[in-house]
Amino acid sequence: MASRFSGALQLTDLDDFITPSQECIKPVKIEKTKTKTGAKIKIGEDGYFDVSSGREQKLQKVEITLADCLACSGCITSAESVLVTKQSQEELLRVFSERKYTDNKGVSKDVSLIVISLSPQPTLSLAARYKLTPEEATHKLAGYFKSLGADLVLDMTIAEDLSLLEAQQEFLQRYQNQLADPSSKNMPMLASSCPGWVCYAEKTHGNFILPYISSSKSPQQVMGSLVKQYLSRSRELTPGEIYHVTVMPCYDKKLEASREDFYSEMLSCHDVDCVITAIELEQMLDVSSKSLNDITGAELDWPWGALGEAPPALRRHIGTGSGGYADHVFLYAAEQLFGESNAQLVYRNLRNPDFREVTLEKDGKEVLRFAVANGFRNIQNLVQKLKRGKSPYHYVEVMACPSGCLNGGAQVRPVTGESGRELVAQLEAMYSALPLAVPAESKLVRKLYAEWLDGKDSDKARAMLHTTYHAVEKSDIALNIKW
Amino acid sequence: MPNLELIQALSGHKGIVWNVSWHPQGKIFASCGEDKTIKLWSKEGQEWTIKTVLVDGHQRTIREVAWSPCGNYLASASFDATTAIWDKKSGQFECNATLEGHENEVKSVAWSPSGQLLATCGRDKSVWVWEVAGEDEYECESVLNAHNQDVKKVAWHPSLDILASASYDNSVKLYKEDPADNDWSCIATLQSHESTVWSLTFDKTGERLATCSDDRTVKIWKEYKPDNQEGVIVTDRESVWKCVCTLSGFHTRCIYDIAWCHHTGFLATASGDDIIRIFKESEDSDPNSPTFDLVCTKLNAHSQDVNSVRWNPTGNKELLSCSDDGEIKIWSFSSD
Repeated sequence: MASRFSGALQLTDLDDFITPSQECIKPVKIEKTKTKTGAKIKIGEDGYFDVSSGREQKLQKVEITLADCLACSGCITSAESVLVTKQSQEELLRVFSERKYTDNKGVSKDVSLIVISLSPQPTLSLAARYKLTPEEATHKLAGYFKSLGADLVLDMTIAEDLSLLEAQQEFLQRYQNQLADPSSKNMPMLASSCPGWVCYAEKTHGNFILPYISSSKSPQQVMGSLVKQYLSRSRELTPGEIYHVTVMPCYDKKLEASREDFYSEMLSCHDVDCVITAIELEQMLDVSSKSLNDITGAELDWPWGALGEAPPALRRHIGTGSGGYADHVFLYAAEQLFGESNAQLVYRNLRNPDFREVTLEKDGKEVLRFAVANGFRNIQNLVQKLKRGKSPYHYVEVMACPSGCLNGGAQVRPVTGESGRELVAQLEAMYSALPLAVPAESKLVRKLYAEWLDGKDSDKARAMLHTTYHAVEKSDIALNIKW
Repeated sequence: MPNLELIQALSGHKGIVWNVSWHPQGKIFASCGEDKTIKLWSKEGQEWTIKTVLVDGHQRTIREVAWSPCGNYLASASFDATTAIWDKKSGQFECNATLEGHENEVKSVAWSPSGQLLATCGRDKSVWVWEVAGEDEYECESVLNAHNQDVKKVAWHPSLDILASASYDNSVKLYKEDPADNDWSCIATLQSHESTVWSLTFDKTGERLATCSDDRTVKIWKEYKPDNQEGVIVTDRESVWKCVCTLSGFHTRCIYDIAWCHHTGFLATASGDDIIRIFKESEDSDPNSPTFDLVCTKLNAHSQDVNSVRWNPTGNKELLSCSDDGEIKIWSFSSD
């Protein structure tokens, strides 16, 4: 079966001769009991048994979790089979029906609240698939999840707003730091919301590239903090009682949700428990012989207190369909650093339409140069530019999929006779017609900074809205030796 | 009687010699191998001798070398995950660009007929297309993940920007650029071999492809274009490639390399049975079901696996071969 991850992830260490399961090199800690002599192990039909104590004791099977896979420099394909068990539609349906899930430690937990967070890209993908308007598709999806047993279905505008605002602030900080120390690795700042790109950078370019990657969490993980840390409190629940599902445009987001960084030892739960994608939702509907069209719609929920603004809805941000990072950071930097309150964003294509540049000139001099680099080939060219010290950029919005997140790897495939490009163009048109969200004007954003995060730039804001990256060291053990 | 006559056996490499490549003018060739060096050879009087040794370009085995069509650049693919581009703008050969990106061993490198594009492939299962973007500047045009195993060889169509790759997944794939977004995509998958496809070579028209495999066969594939005379069904306006001939029963071990001479039409193979074989298309061969005759079998051409064979591009019937035995041999083929 072809891998479903983005191209960037398909490339990492694989061996022609050893299958992924054989290649797993993760050392496993084994709890040993002290015996005078070596253990005697009997191989039975249904497992291995320790018979050294006189009676048969079944030995535990070693299990490799997705977290192990992510922290390892070995294969990535085996991570996929591990994912299938933890983050599949079957698992989701099971949680819906039993209202119980098994956490990382193998402890079964009761679920009091099931929260679904909808991102715009997969919703648009399903809207196109079932020939619905984005608004209809949003309502039908909300209705579908409610019919399965979800308690709350939310849009992610607030998480996207926070992620963009944090990225803007971080850029200013980095810009100043770079001025203060030109040899530092603050610039260019590279977007961090694409987990395919982040995982590739960690596994392949490690400490060389990681300092450039924005520490701001992606919308999915901001939403995770918001649901598990803020919403749980307002509902007087422990975070572990909430089962949080995000609806996303790519499989790589499953890897992101499973990162150790987004698991709280203290609360013993992940910020996002399950990621489900457009293509999986299509399959779920197909399996139950349903069309999204036939589902009774429901309104999105608003658990954030007084409404005050427009009703909850799927919203766009200015800029690309991947979240508009380059545009938001550019406009903010132009205003804050150079007093340009009306900077124009005129992109020009470089070698291909997936590598675009925009610049800001001040008194005839170029002061800012930003780029949008989509797709693995452009990631390569960007990384090589950086390595040779030839990157002219202050900021790059990097996404592993060609055309960005609207063309995510787990979006519904084009129907026969339709080209992938036509479908992306349709999704782009739908995206640009969504109502606009302006992060800086959101009352909810202000409320959350005040009530939840102890203000902007606070320790709590950093803890909730930022993360860290880890270079994965390549290990040199026998199975990894290349000649 | 057709005969392959040894002109000269050349030693100089330490250990396995993996690959040889003729300069387009046919008066110089390059060789590479396990000893991490590239050697450039030319004729002094009647003797072929080493003119230059390129060292320090790679940290591990060099698997393949390829001259650019203009003859000014030499590309080398190495197990150290890089591809180096050498030129002698400064008067002597130097590595002036390194293509990085493959995750591990690079197995093959090839220049497009225009010299504007380069293809590489390797153990990470990917095929990369690079564009010459300026003086010593190369940009990645595409990373193709069409194969699901190690990719052994890349080769370009003789006149068009169509790329072919051969893999450990037993298949051959063809690619071309989509002008709408300048990205490349797989346009055909050729499946028939039952084991690793080690190498491939187009004929001079580019409408036929010969492939060789660990399954000990050579296969000839023919392109059927849209609206072909034969009535072969073509979908999406992309040509269909069909296997029209399988040469089996000739080789007793894996076939590592194959070369189709664009002047004479002779097909040469390099095999793990230490033999070089030469095939010729029959006089009355049917284009839709061609027949090839084995016209020459050079037993013990080398004392170990023959890794590579290459016809002199001038069409003078000189053939280069190299082997695990550490030797390079220059042969002269007489067809009658």
